[in-house]
Amino acid sequence: MIITPQELQNWKDKRKSFRVLDIRPEKQRKDFPLNGLNPVIADADSIPKIEIETVLICQFGIITEGIILEQDLDSTFSLLGGAQAWETFQTEKQDLSRWSRQTVLPEIGLEGQKRLLNSTVAIVGMGGLGCPVAQSLVSAGIGKLKIIDGDKVELSNLHRQPLYGVEDVGRMKVEVAKEKLTLLNETAMIKSSEEYLNDDNGIDIISDVDVIIDATDNIQSRQLIDRFSKAASVPMIYGGLYRYEGQVAVLNANGSPGYSDLFPEPHLEVTRVLMQVCWVCCRE
Amino acid sequence: MKVTVKCFSQVKYALGTDDLVLKLDIGTTTEILEKVIREKAGGKLDGVSLRVAVNQKYVPENTELNDGDEVAFIPPVQGG
Repeated sequence: MIITPQELQNWKDKRKSFRVLDIRPEKQRKDFPLNGLNPVIADADSIPKIEIETVLICQFGIITEGIILEQDLDSTFSLLGGAQAWETFQTEKQDLSRWSRQTVLPEIGLEGQKRLLNSTVAIVGMGGLGCPVAQSLVSAGIGKLKIIDGDKVELSNLHRQPLYGVEDVGRMKVEVAKEKLTLLNETAMIKSSEEYLNDDNGIDIISDVDVIIDATDNIQSRQLIDRFSKAASVPMIYGGLYRYEGQVAVLNANGSPGYSDLFPEPHLEVTRVLMQVCWVCCRE
Repeated sequence: MKVTVKCFSQVKYALGTDDLVLKLDIGTTTEILEKVIREKAGGKLDGVSLRVAVNQKYVPENTELNDGDEVAFIPPVQGG
């Protein structure tokens, strides 16, 4: 079983009877003391079994989950995010434990998670690309997400746009997406715009974001996003696909080229039929 | 000299192959090679702009090719 730092704090506040076992090596215990928990040092290979609810703590909350499963321990909880999450909760009053499986990665860590929580991303297009991107960002802890699309859900969308279901057909995509994304992470602030990006609304929509995701399905929109991205000095991540192949690029970031630098010619006519073929494969 | 052409998206379907090896005259540029590719496509790439990369780096127009180069013609794609 799992317990979060917030839940453990609630136990403390209610003066619930429980014990805390710290299975970490001495250096980790010294560097990350479990303030306020009065832990007992324990050997991970022989957890003493007594009739009281027990919280096992390791550094990141991963080893203890394994111990509970392997030793089939009753009434025993693993502290989600471990000592690292407890310390953050104590010092900053932020429970980051739900993201412990990514904060354990050195490339993200607690600092990276805080940056995600304080970041704003705009996604233009909530179709086959926008849906999974939005799901990943909200799940990962992006603090604020803007989603822009003037389209309604159609039956032919459902096989590749996993935020939508049969009952959503005919509703605005961003309206449904906002509901479903909020279920993934109730703390994320999601702002939906039931319109297509255009010359009039573009700057307003992207001016206060850290990154703009181009998840549209047409080159004209890409060119428009590219112009706004350059004008507002906001990096743009572009994704596109053709059948089973995809393209992805980070553009207009710290002086890097933009979409118009990559494909400078005024654009080519690709037929609607071709676009529909592309859409078939866009989950790739 | 010989160069390998990597074909992506519309180029792949227009030529019916992922890649092909071509014998070219010394001094051939990417612009000349693009014309060769468009001719081989028999009109299927008309109106499609292509970005050219040599040895996995985008290069300026009319870059001279060398023996053993890998050339990729990359069209924009718009599915999403």
